[in-house]
Amino acid sequence: MVRTRTTSRTRTAAVQVTALAAASALALSACGGGSTASAEAAPVATDRDIQLSLVWWGDDDRAGRYEEAVALFEEKYPNIDVQTQFQAWDDYWTARSTEAAGQTLPDVFQMDLAYIHQYASNNQLLDLSNQLGVNLDAEGYDDGLLASGAVNDGQYGIPTSTNTLGMIVHHDILDELGVEAPEEGLTWDEYDAWVREVSEAGADAEPRVYGGTDYTGTLWLFIQWLLQQGKTAFNDDGTPAFAEEDLVAWVERTQPLRDDGVFYPVERTKQVEPLTGLQVNEAATEMTWDNMTAGYSANAGTENVDLLPVPTGAEGSSQFWKPSMLLSASSTTEEPDAAAALIDFLVNDPEVGEIFGTSKGVPAVAEQRDAMGVEEGSIDDKIVGYEDHVAERVTAETPLPGEGYGVVEAEFKRLGEELAYGNITAEEFADQWFASAEANLGGA
Amino acid sequence: MRGATETSSPARGGRPRRNRADTQAGYAFLTPWLLGFGLLTAGPMLMSLYLAFTDYNLFRAPTFVGLDNFAALVSDPRFLKSAQVTAVYVVVGVPVKLAAALAVAVLLNARHRGQGAYRSMFYAPSLIGASVSVAIVWRAMFIDDGVADRIQQLLGFPAGGWVGDPGMTMPMMILLAVWQFGAPMVIFLAGLKQIPAELHEAAAVDGAGPVRRFVSVTIPMLSPVLFFNLLLETIGAFQVFSSAYIISGGTGGPADSTLFYTFYLYLKGFTEFRMGYASAMAWVLVIVVGVITAVLFRTSRAWVHYTGDVR
Repeated sequence: MVRTRTTSRTRTAAVQVTALAAASALALSACGGGSTASAEAAPVATDRDIQLSLVWWGDDDRAGRYEEAVALFEEKYPNIDVQTQFQAWDDYWTARSTEAAGQTLPDVFQMDLAYIHQYASNNQLLDLSNQLGVNLDAEGYDDGLLASGAVNDGQYGIPTSTNTLGMIVHHDILDELGVEAPEEGLTWDEYDAWVREVSEAGADAEPRVYGGTDYTGTLWLFIQWLLQQGKTAFNDDGTPAFAEEDLVAWVERTQPLRDDGVFYPVERTKQVEPLTGLQVNEAATEMTWDNMTAGYSANAGTENVDLLPVPTGAEGSSQFWKPSMLLSASSTTEEPDAAAALIDFLVNDPEVGEIFGTSKGVPAVAEQRDAMGVEEGSIDDKIVGYEDHVAERVTAETPLPGEGYGVVEAEFKRLGEELAYGNITAEEFADQWFASAEANLGGA
Repeated sequence: MRGATETSSPARGGRPRRNRADTQAGYAFLTPWLLGFGLLTAGPMLMSLYLAFTDYNLFRAPTFVGLDNFAALVSDPRFLKSAQVTAVYVVVGVPVKLAAALAVAVLLNARHRGQGAYRSMFYAPSLIGASVSVAIVWRAMFIDDGVADRIQQLLGFPAGGWVGDPGMTMPMMILLAVWQFGAPMVIFLAGLKQIPAELHEAAAVDGAGPVRRFVSVTIPMLSPVLFFNLLLETIGAFQVFSSAYIISGGTGGPADSTLFYTFYLYLKGFTEFRMGYASAMAWVLVIVVGVITAVLFRTSRAWVHYTGDVR
């Protein structure tokens, strides 16, 4: 079993830079390839040895869980040998793009909503439609959720689990300051006022604590805010469906908090990276994907955290489900049937559900959710409970990011940082982001 | 005897047989290197030269766009920022590093007990300085309440880590580079050993003090070595990548203050998949470094003295 660990990001980065030219050379000769949808799907063969590669992004914890799940799969299909590999998020996509150029993508690999368009529309992924009902069972899926893995009428990814945005609340900090936790259903302005109150109360604490971190540079939160005003985020071709004024308004509405030093300071944020203010016990709230709660709680060293819905707007909460990740197969796989069987096993098998818990998000399929056996009051329980609780607030369809989304999301974050350092204005933020959107979205 | 004479005098009667066989054997022995050079260096370089004139995202075949990439560079504010960051790093970092290396070399050139041990100790940072772990330690030293912050507070400077302050990350990066002065130091030390003692003695007899001897004897005699180190360090500084990658957490931040040229190239190529653009950047760097090297060689005629030169 091959396990390549990426412990040093730099080393791989450097290696990959030198590999740049080599990869490009390979790419040229390989270009224009990419097989179309596989032939007829047949039940996976049991009479010959099959090798599959499986790759994901994540940490050691996730790797241990995958190894356990793979061992079960190999037990069920003794003739299939699964070779695994994993990297951290950034390196993961670098490695996959180089492989895509060389037509050597792994048989099965984790996919994200931000990249599925790019890979699918460039013929890198296997259309799993004809595997449905043969080797891949998607009966347990919510139609809307399954559709998030569809691109141009093909099923290129199978969501493993769901998440939705939420607000993590650090009760230990609030108890110490004697400030009440925010109420559920606050508007954005009310939430901002609450953050200000906490930051003022925490000004003399040692170390100083803050009510919340600056959320302006998170593209998904901006999208959430847009949806709450009855607007849409993206057109079908992936270009922005909102105006520059919308973006300016979003940036300007939090400007007073930045001016007054109410948010967790960016200088600190940069120093505690890759952790965040809440995870180092210096910020009382933070908005992010709900499945992050487990990691946040572990890093902060307390289970005394809770999840609340994000603030609301004129159109209510308009929250949406997002697949926290998908599984895709490569269009160049020689074993489409076995690849589909592996995906099927990972998303449907109850024991696999038990192994992963909510670490990848809440499992998409009920059999896996039920098998988790969450302990009452545990973080897993809080996440599952939160998703049950906000289900009625989930009224919006998943805004599907198109090709290039990953790039403009990173640009949004970078501009948020420039904003926090006071280097750019709201207009410049909008201007520069739209320039990036024009260059990267809509198949540009 | 006769055979030996024949092979050792190739000038007589065209190219003797044995000689051609030697040439062939030579190339045969060179093959591994030639293969490596062709496949891993020359080929990819030519390919990247072609890609520089294309729009290529790794997924789709490259499309020829002429000089568009180069035109786009000029109007890309982040490209200009990365050029500026790199220029500051080279212009400030290289002279400071060379001065530190020379100063330590002069100290180590004096005769002391345990000199060998000192040399090894001073060289050690260069062995480990480029490693990932040191970049991580470096980052830890310059955060809030890190070593640097504590010293600042002791000396009465305003407190605060350097890592989160866009104005302080460049000094931090330059310090990291300067600390790795070992390689130029060893070369300086070798150069110092070559200076004939008579020159110093003669100057001393003529009444020159230590400073005067350093300026008028050591520096001119050392100028070829100085020139060599300057070239090497300048070219190296243009290519700084991994320490910036680690210290900024792969972002070039805070606020693009560590967005070095090669780092921006990497971001363009591998996070935005703009391989054509990244290739164009690479070739601009090749040309800039080439021009700077040429200029340095030109100016060297005025200040580099080779022993035996008659001017």
